[in-house]
Amino acid sequence: MAKVAREMVEKSGVNVDKLLELLVKNAAAELTTYYYYTILRCNLIGLKGEGVKEIAETARIEDRNHFEAIVPRIYELGGKLPDDMKEFHDMSACPPASLPADPTDVIEIIKVLVAAERCAVRGYTYICNLTAGKDHRTYDLSQAILNEEIEHESWFSEFLGEGPSGHFLRRGETSPFVSKFLK
Amino acid sequence: MKNFTRKELARYNGKGKVPALIAYNGKVYDVSRSFLWKDGTHQVIHNAGEDLTDDLEKAPHGADLLNKFPVVGKIHED
Repeated sequence: MAKVAREMVEKSGVNVDKLLELLVKNAAAELTTYYYYTILRCNLIGLKGEGVKEIAETARIEDRNHFEAIVPRIYELGGKLPDDMKEFHDMSACPPASLPADPTDVIEIIKVLVAAERCAVRGYTYICNLTAGKDHRTYDLSQAILNEEIEHESWFSEFLGEGPSGHFLRRGETSPFVSKFLK
Repeated sequence: MKNFTRKELARYNGKGKVPALIAYNGKVYDVSRSFLWKDGTHQVIHNAGEDLTDDLEKAPHGADLLNKFPVVGKIHED
């Protein structure tokens, strides 16, 4: 635990135990999403599905990166992950991104992907609002993750014809915003 | 439609088998089915059994998300 780092956050008025609970729930959401996206990606096949597969894979890898980036912050602040993986899964901040009943329906898969990203965008916006000007490191981390989640949402929502976002799929390394927390 | 005093609403905190009810703008919604309201808590900080009108103004989502939950009553001011 980073004792003084926690103390500084406490002194700023943030309820660190509540913040830790939020961070653990969002870490669970990232890891479970990584798992569920693996299944979704495998099912993105055919003329429609293959066009989405690349961004689904990028979002999958970046969600795993988010998990990797959040965990050290949890331990720095004196928190921990549950010993039981099942417990961890069930405390996720977002619902499971489960494969739709008809796995050949690409639109339904994209709807699942968009819903998962929107849950994440709301979750990290919430953490940013909670920590802004108070817990600088958690804010910086959450904001970096938020930037990537917003891009994921944009990628998938364009496939649903919700309008242009101005983004293009990743070129080069994944996690352009979060990578600084992974080094 | 049932009238809830704030004291009555507080009983529906979503713990155990108790339904999770929340109030917004005078209406009482049953959010028990929501994954995001498991155990009567939402985003760690918000609790079922409470009037969340002020909280929702600051939330990273609109009140329209409540439209998918049944309205089970309204708030009756004591």
